[in-house]
Amino acid sequence: MAYNELIKDVSRIRDYLREFFVYGFKSREQVGTKSTRSYDNEKRRIESWLSDYMSFRQDANQKTVFLILDSRHIAHNPFYTAWKAASFTKNDINLHFILLDILADKNPRSLTELIESIDNDYMAFFDCPDEIDVSTLRKKLKEYTEIGLINRIQEGKQHLYLLPDNEIPLDLWKDAVTFFSEGNPLGVIGSFILDKYKEPPLPIFSFKHQYFLFALDDGILLDLLSSIHDKKQVELETATDHRRRHRKIIAVPLKIYISTQGGRQYVAAYVSSKKRIQFIRIDAINKVKPLDTCCEFAFYQDMLKDDMPHVWGVSPAFHEPSHIEMTLNIDPKDAHIINRLKREKRSGNISQISETEWKFSADVYDPGEMIPWLRTFIGRICSLKCTDRRTQQLFWEDFDTLNKMYGGNENAL
Amino acid sequence: MLFSEVYSAYFNAIAAIITDTLEGEINEKRIVRIIRDRAFSESVLSIIPSLKNGDWLIMDKNFNTPIKNKPSMPLTILQKRWLKALLLDPRIRLFDICVSGLEHVEPLFTPDDFVYFDRYLDGDPFTDESYILHFRTILKAFYEQRRLNIEYRNRHNKSVNGRFIPYRLEYSSKDDKFRLETAGGRYAAYINLSRIKSCTLAENYEGERLIIPKRQEALVQFTLKNERNALERVMLHFSDCRKETRRLDDDTYDVKLTYEALDETEILIRILSFGPMLKVTGPEHFIGLIRERIRMQLALSGTIKI
Repeated sequence: MAYNELIKDVSRIRDYLREFFVYGFKSREQVGTKSTRSYDNEKRRIESWLSDYMSFRQDANQKTVFLILDSRHIAHNPFYTAWKAASFTKNDINLHFILLDILADKNPRSLTELIESIDNDYMAFFDCPDEIDVSTLRKKLKEYTEIGLINRIQEGKQHLYLLPDNEIPLDLWKDAVTFFSEGNPLGVIGSFILDKYKEPPLPIFSFKHQYFLFALDDGILLDLLSSIHDKKQVELETATDHRRRHRKIIAVPLKIYISTQGGRQYVAAYVSSKKRIQFIRIDAINKVKPLDTCCEFAFYQDMLKDDMPHVWGVSPAFHEPSHIEMTLNIDPKDAHIINRLKREKRSGNISQISETEWKFSADVYDPGEMIPWLRTFIGRICSLKCTDRRTQQLFWEDFDTLNKMYGGNENAL
Repeated sequence: MLFSEVYSAYFNAIAAIITDTLEGEINEKRIVRIIRDRAFSESVLSIIPSLKNGDWLIMDKNFNTPIKNKPSMPLTILQKRWLKALLLDPRIRLFDICVSGLEHVEPLFTPDDFVYFDRYLDGDPFTDESYILHFRTILKAFYEQRRLNIEYRNRHNKSVNGRFIPYRLEYSSKDDKFRLETAGGRYAAYINLSRIKSCTLAENYEGERLIIPKRQEALVQFTLKNERNALERVMLHFSDCRKETRRLDDDTYDVKLTYEALDETEILIRILSFGPMLKVTGPEHFIGLIRERIRMQLALSGTIKI
């Protein structure tokens, strides 16, 4: 099939964008997709969309393509582009502009009146245009009615179509939409709204710790949120093993868990086959198929609510929580470390046990999840105790390895 | 539906082309510019032929159009529901918006749908009246190109006064905080909004002569050992930063990470959180920072019981 910069769905380009942006060291052969032609087409497409951020590197025996992006220096998420590249037919584009034009006077019109107007006022303008038949028009009206671009009213026995009143004063929303289109989930919808303004927004906002990649999952996120609000069970098609293997999971989505530090989003869902709550990576979900309404939705929500105080990250309750205690050496002049403890602890308690010692304690289902955070206090840890001995041991073994890596004494600990 | 041609760059470009045509300002050069602004770098190759060959019943080869009104697409239900959802976010109070037209719209989501499980707990007081006032004064300063008189507490809790040119309002989802980046100085200077005690508009400045603050950049290089899925975790974790990765062998990678020099401690902590999966290889100064943390830890080791 001939190359086209527009796409039918975002799933394939989502994989390529992730490869080029997150990893950025793989050659054409290593990306591991269907064919080299497919690779070349997707690369060309991404180049066309994001040429400002695309880089290439030629090593001894391979060429590598990668995207360089620094979220603090870029005002608008470049990955929203993928959502603005939907392919369409000539009837789609013709009817879009013609219907909006016919209905611009706010007068309702019947199907017959619309087709007459299309023929007389638009088709007649061109030499031998392809006709637009009634069924195509009817289908488009149904689609536009469903998404809210056109209203349908009943008059006598016939339906009339008109444009909805746009009572929302968008000018007053511009700053808010500019901010939330970057600083909120599903920000791509805000980006669609920003496209409606004649003038681009003032460059007021910038964003730190922003994960552009989340934008690629917005379609799946929207489907998950719809099922949460409809209290529906869903069939999730997920990809594992670098997207080579697929599996289907029947689950009841309950909440969205977002990591502001790890670049990952999860759905907390009750998984029927496991009979418990699991956290599923959203970037691993390819498809969300809504099933029946779930009568036990509120029960599962409560189950999650009960678990939440002991979930440090995204590890669900397998067994009883483990108790963990960490004592830190903090000089009174280093109050910022105490502030760090207070703002970074997600659960648990902090207490001062001497002038220079502070204790953090918590009960969590998976203390292993805490290790990365505990490591950030290296240099101040007086003691670390955990009822899960493996976590305690792993922490100190890792520290020992770290010490050796930087030339430390092997018998230091 | 999120993925639809009605939101596409092509439809936006065509709408802008029709608008300019109706305003009598169209020619091929102008069309090319609109397409480059609104669509993609190769879009010219498909849009212009489709317009000229009569495939799209939008205009003829001489750029005459049967369309009589400037295209104006109403908001879709999805867009209205997204706006309605914003009304439930405490940060919406920072903006002087008008809620009319959304009365009977269902929000697309609610704050309760999300858990930001690793977000810091001392986020800004977005509903505090003084905070809102300061935020809106800053927004006004951007539009009116005015300097700001700001009194704030610095990180040593000392009161500081100054006259600043606002450059950017920076939001961090991790910190759940706004900081004002100011211009005029040699390097970027930041003021946490929650630390502002007073903020008033001062005289105008000339936007054209604004000196853009330079963010002093630094670079750290490290080797990544792909154990315990470290490759994926590190790549995603640092995907908010500018980085370049090379494969050294089957499970070892070299990563160069660029960051703002002011954030050195934060980057140090982020690297430390990966433990022995990452080994900093340069610069020497950064290696020294890691060694110092290890040395401090070893000094405490007498009290440690494994």
